[in-house]
Amino acid sequence: MKKSAWLLSGLLVLASLTGCQQNGVKIGVSAPISGDIAALGQSTKNAVLLAQEEINAKGGIDIGGKKQKVTFIIEDDENKPESAATVFQKMINQDKVVAIIGSQSSKCSNAGAPIAEAAGVPQISPWSTNPNVTKDKKFVFRACFIDPFQGKAVAGFARGKMKAQTAAVLYDVASDYNKGIAEVFRDEFTKAGGKIVGFETYNTNDKDFSAQLSKIKGASPDVLFLPNYFNDVPLQVQQARKLGMTCKFIGSDGWDNQELIKMGGKDMEGSFFSNHYSPDVDRPASKTFIANYTKKFNTQVDAAAALTYDSVYILVKAIEKAGKLDPKAIRDAIANTKDFDGATGAITFNGSGDPVKGAVMIRIDNGKFVFDSAVN
Amino acid sequence: MIATAIQQLLNAAQLGAVYALIALGYTMVYGTIRLINFAHGDIFMLGGFVGFLLVSVIPGLPVAVMIPLAMFITAMIGVMIERVAYRKLRNAQRMSLVITALGVGIFLENLVRILVGPQARQIPAQLPNKVLKLGGGVVITEDKILVILISLALMVILWVFVNRTLIGTAMRAVADNRDAVQLMGVNLNLIIATTFAVGSALAAAGGIFFGQAYSIDPYMGIDLGWKAFIAAVIGGIGSIEGAVIGSFLLAGVEVLTVAYLSSNLKNGIAFGLLIILLLIRPNGIMGRAELKKV
Repeated sequence: MKKSAWLLSGLLVLASLTGCQQNGVKIGVSAPISGDIAALGQSTKNAVLLAQEEINAKGGIDIGGKKQKVTFIIEDDENKPESAATVFQKMINQDKVVAIIGSQSSKCSNAGAPIAEAAGVPQISPWSTNPNVTKDKKFVFRACFIDPFQGKAVAGFARGKMKAQTAAVLYDVASDYNKGIAEVFRDEFTKAGGKIVGFETYNTNDKDFSAQLSKIKGASPDVLFLPNYFNDVPLQVQQARKLGMTCKFIGSDGWDNQELIKMGGKDMEGSFFSNHYSPDVDRPASKTFIANYTKKFNTQVDAAAALTYDSVYILVKAIEKAGKLDPKAIRDAIANTKDFDGATGAITFNGSGDPVKGAVMIRIDNGKFVFDSAVN
Repeated sequence: MIATAIQQLLNAAQLGAVYALIALGYTMVYGTIRLINFAHGDIFMLGGFVGFLLVSVIPGLPVAVMIPLAMFITAMIGVMIERVAYRKLRNAQRMSLVITALGVGIFLENLVRILVGPQARQIPAQLPNKVLKLGGGVVITEDKILVILISLALMVILWVFVNRTLIGTAMRAVADNRDAVQLMGVNLNLIIATTFAVGSALAAAGGIFFGQAYSIDPYMGIDLGWKAFIAAVIGGIGSIEGAVIGSFLLAGVEVLTVAYLSSNLKNGIAFGLLIILLLIRPNGIMGRAELKKV
């Protein structure tokens, strides 16, 4: 009796040990693989797969002197908050991931963050710029700047370089990111001495903006700020031009995807937007990443891909520094990240979940995203 | 001031025309087999993609051929869906049919997503699209005028078809009493298949116009399908004139709310009006009360 109990428990321990070794390190990824910004989900997936390949080619993640292979569990949150919540629950409770990368849009990260925080699982969002994502949370980080900074940068650019006296805003009121940055821009542009002559909204999935744009046209602004994702912006710009509007367009990091040019074409020329980085800025870490990414996937890098790649490596470095797969230790290691040399620039966390980073302004020139100026 | 108002009415006319092309399919199918065909919004999406694929596969295909061809192909798909998914359930509980329709919709969305990809696309400009200045700051593009005119023409053709032809008469008869029609020797399957074909063809036209003016993606049918369904209900589901009136009314209320109140209130006011209207006229503007045999 006693003997068989020992044998049984011995077998169980053995089974769990081999189980551990076989599974390696499991990291969850929540990304918009389908839905309205699916093109960005593809960039996320590409960046993660590239990092996974690189890490495992070197034998895996070095945990306390032993190398363990890493597996990324990529789940589709459809760019819907309710799906993101389900994905976070599933990855934490069923897959038992050690940490989560994602999600990309702020509305989805806002839905997932409380779940990761409550479970004590470290989360790094690559691309969510809305301040609420990390606010009052210990386990939630991001790899990008936040909207109060970005909105101020764009408003300053519109007042300064574009010499705009008046501006109008058209934004998706049902999305946290769009709404947040629209409000920051309104306040900052007014503070800088400009006048907001139109502040109009629409709802996610609307395709006809002619009513809002006709109204804005009546106020004839110098610039129209469109803090929306790359799938909506081309339609807005085209419809504005078709209504005979002649103002300049300005946007934010949600513009950064090739789909913007593919659909918007000529109408996008001469517009500006703020972004996390520009491939034109000469940095070794950035150059290597862009070269490997374009070679493997034969497509251009967008900021979301670069930020996802950085998020993965911030996490991997933190796991190695922690030396064990303990969420609390990993969390502390992420929080102590100093001068991480990422594809999107140096990343340092100063006690909060938000890194200190600069922004760049990008100009659209002959169908290309061209570096215009840096904002710190 | 007046210029902006005219501009907004033109905006509403284009939106209303697209709503109407979808709403007609809802109303016709409901009229004949009492099914709220929730897959209809996705047939609208499918029509847009059929047009997109035709233009991509055969470059230089004239628009006067592309639109009828895409309408025909989509009509055949609509007939096939009825044959495969709905016919066997025709006499089942109405709830089974509605659930099946929802399933067909989800199937179509995912099929297109896998085959064509999830990105939004635009159908390359086929209709002339120069910007015309009408004076006083009012502008309209040529394709906008054409979309409104072609849609209205299709609606008139449909009205003549339903009210002045033999098969149209049979359709109305099926709507009145399905069992009696069969006793008179009318081929019920043929009539119902025709209804699906016509409804799908109109939705395809809507999808193509939408894909040229805005963009198409696998999920576009969900929101627009709901809006068009609501337009059909406002007009009185089952009534063709009602679907058209309801569509232009809904588009008008939406656009005017944005123009003169606030874009934040667009859906709130539009659907608030819907509720009030249905409280006053539970069967919609043109609808009639259904007599239940006891």
